[in-house]
This record gives sequence, C-alpha cells and structure tokens, in this order.
Amino acid sequence: MPDPDPLPGLNEDEFRRLCEFVYRRTGMVFTEAKRYFVQRRVIDRMAATGAATFASYFARLRTDLDGEVEHFINAFTVNETYFYREEHQLQCLTTDLLRERTRRRSPSLPIRIWSVPCSTGEEPFSIALWLLENWPQVDAWDIEILGSDIDTRALEAAREGVYGKRALMRLPPAVIARYFEPLADGEWRLSEDIRGSVGFSPVNLVEAAQTRPHGRFDVIFCRNVLIYFDDASRRTAAENLYETLLPGGYICLGHTESMSRISPLFEVCRYADAIVYRRPLEDAHG
Amino acid sequence: MPLIRKPPSPPPTGVDPPADPFAGIAAADAADRWAAARALADHPAGVLALADALSRETDVRVREAIFAGLSRAATRQSAEAVLPCLRSDDASLRTGALDALRAMPMAALPLLPQLLIDPDPDVRLLTCEVVRALPPADACALLVALLDRETEVNVCAAAVEVLSEAGDASALPALRRCAERFADAPFLGFAIKVAAQRLQASAPRA
Repeated sequence: MPDPDPLPGLNEDEFRRLCEFVYRRTGMVFTEAKRYFVQRRVIDRMAATGAATFASYFARLRTDLDGEVEHFINAFTVNETYFYREEHQLQCLTTDLLRERTRRRSPSLPIRIWSVPCSTGEEPFSIALWLLENWPQVDAWDIEILGSDIDTRALEAAREGVYGKRALMRLPPAVIARYFEPLADGEWRLSEDIRGSVGFSPVNLVEAAQTRPHGRFDVIFCRNVLIYFDDASRRTAAENLYETLLPGGYICLGHTESMSRISPLFEVCRYADAIVYRRPLEDAHG
Repeated sequence: MPLIRKPPSPPPTGVDPPADPFAGIAAADAADRWAAARALADHPAGVLALADALSRETDVRVREAIFAGLSRAATRQSAEAVLPCLRSDDASLRTGALDALRAMPMAALPLLPQLLIDPDPDVRLLTCEVVRALPPADACALLVALLDRETEVNVCAAAVEVLSEAGDASALPALRRCAERFADAPFLGFAIKVAAQRLQASAPRA
C-alpha cells in the first residue's frame, strides 16, 4: 500500500536513518507504524530551525546544535506533568519497594524518597497522596519526601501547590475532595498538610557537589530526564544518583529509559508493576 | 494526619567526598577507589592520577568511574589515557574505552587519524565507532580516507555503517570504489547499497 500522505522533506531512507540515530541516542523506538507521526514532528522542527533539507536538520540534531536533541525529544514526549502519572510505578512503590526497604530496619529510621526532577511538584505530591491512600503502614513510619529540580521557578510553583484541572485528571474524585480545595479561578490548591509534607530544593544532577548534600535515599524517582543528557553527563548523573542511594535502594526511571544502557552500577529488578533499578545491597561503593 | 513529615531540620547527613582522593585511588577497598575516582574527575590534577589508576584497576565499577572521569575532563591527555584499553583482550575494558572516547569526540579527534591506520584491525574497527560522534564533515573525511586504503572487510563494514548515519553525499564515490574492491563480499555490498541509498536520499535535489 502506498504511503497515504507522503510529506516533503523525509523519505524512507531518511526516516530509517533518523530512527536508528534516535534509538541509539535516546532509546526511543519508532516503528514504521509511527512514520507519519515522526514525519510531522521532524517537519515542524525543520521549520522551527530554518533547516531547508533533512540533511541539514539531521546534522543539527546529531551535533546537538543549540540543544536540538532536547527540542526534538520534547516534540515526541508528553511534556505536561500530572498527578499519578505512570501510576504503575507508584503501585510498585507500595507493593514491592517499600516492603523490601522496611523488611529489616527499625521504624526509628525515616524512609527517604527523592523526586528528581520534580518540576512543579506533581510527582512528589503524588507520592505523598499515594502513600496516604494506598500504603497501610504509612502511620508506622516516618517518611521524608523531597522534590528537587534545576529550575527554581518550577520549585517556587511547587511550593505554592496550585494546579489546574488537567493536572488532576488522573486523581480519583475522592482524593481530590480530601486533599484539595477549589479556588475561584478553576484551579485547586493542595491542602497545607500535604504541601508541608514535601520539601523542595534546587539541584543539578550532574554536579556531585549539589547532589551529595541531599544525603541518601531509599527510593529515587528520576523519570524522563536522563534521556536528555549526552553520554558523558548521563554517566555522571547515574553515578551521582547511585551515590545518593542507600545500599539496596531503588531508582525508578521513565518508561522509555533504561539504566542498563547507561551504567553497570545498578541491578535490574523486575516486579509485577514495573522494572526498576537497585543499588546492590552488599555494595558499599560511595 | 499520618506520619508524612517535613524534611527534618537540620538536613540529613550528606555524602562526603574522600579527603585525599590521590591516596584513595590506590586504596585496598574498591569502594574507596570508586569514591576517589569520582573526586579526581573534578580535580585539576586528577587526569594523570586517573590515567595511572586505569592501567592497574581490576574492579569493573571503579574502572567505569575512571572512564567517566576521564571523558568528563575531555582533554587530549585524558583521551590518550584510555587508548591502551582499546587493545585490551578484556571486552569490558575495550567497551569502556570506546564509550569514553565517544563521550569526548573532539578531544579524541586529533588522535583518530593515527588510530585509523593502526596495524591492529580491531583498533581500526573500534575507532570507526568513535568517528560516529563527530560532526559530519570530520566523520566523512576520516572514513572516506579509510575506505580507500582499508584491506579488512570488517573494518570497511564498520565504516560503511557509520557513514550511513554520519556521512553525506561526498562519501558516495568512496563507497562505490569500496564495493568494487570487495566484490566477493556480498554482505559488504549490501551494506554499501543501503548506505548509498541513504546518503543519496539526503543529497541536495537538483
């Protein structure tokens, strides 16, 4: 069957060349079924960068000129964040990860969870809400949740705890009713208790001097950020994350990301709800 | 309200870097060497110590930290430090060196012409992968020159594969000549055909 709507600027060979590069660089896989989707976005990026040909755009992308890799990835990913995004990982947190982390430890030691990057707070607050709603042992432990991001404006917004309707779209109505108060302009504010239960701090993941002061964590949520880094930065960030995990601690990545492609430091753990990565229990590195 | 609490004040104990990474890189304990390798990566005089440590390090994770540190430094000296590992019989060492060089392509660039005429075909083959990380003009120039003199079919195949991504239409004549020289290697002929199609497809249209 012929191409239903061939677009100018991206033929079959160019499509394959692009896909192979994107897979190697980011791990994102585009099959033939996604060709139209890919073509549209490449053409948008060519227009945005003033590239007259695919060849000139591809050269820009390969050399990451003016941060083009980030722009390109953004064109393919859901940039908006919302509560209970990738809920299966939250399920894994309460079903498996915390069970492992609390198996042989004293309740006097706090459970530390890090959301990085946390953007405007939806993820760390989701963790707080999920634990309150879904983890029967939540009252038995001190739990410290920290959200960090390189963008201090995002952190300011996170501290405000005010969200639009779209950010709440995956939350059950009962959860919204319990923890949010409606504001006059169609927005919702998280209750003061929840806002007060999450701390926020600035951090650059590739700077050990910035990650180290945060201490060590039981679980780190680090979703959809390593994909943007070049190889050297990605490895440095992985080492910094490893160093800030307690032995046996877990790291959850975005669904298109694989730590196995980045660093040999971590073990792969396959649970019913998610694949996560663990700092080996017996390992005292760092 | 359940026990979700604000982060404690004062904040938790941070992770301390080693006090003397130059001593730590030779410590008996791998954990100490790992931490030292990371610290040396940020030290102005760390490259020499990392290079020295790489030659004797046996722990895979410490080696990974050394490679990461050297590629982060991204100097000619740090690129030269990983070159001996390209000749290693240990696959993880070869891969680590390759990844490190790919992560600092511009630092490695002055070394690549010599590596691409290295007597060891395995070194030439691995170097083709380092070339992949270069800007198109540099990648094309290096691999076209290689294709015109290379005698090992597998090295040519590696170069062709990289050219199919990193090359441009200026590589087409060299690809044709290579196909003619290796007419009895059908897999290479097929790879060249695919690469040529891709490069031709991206050539400026008349």
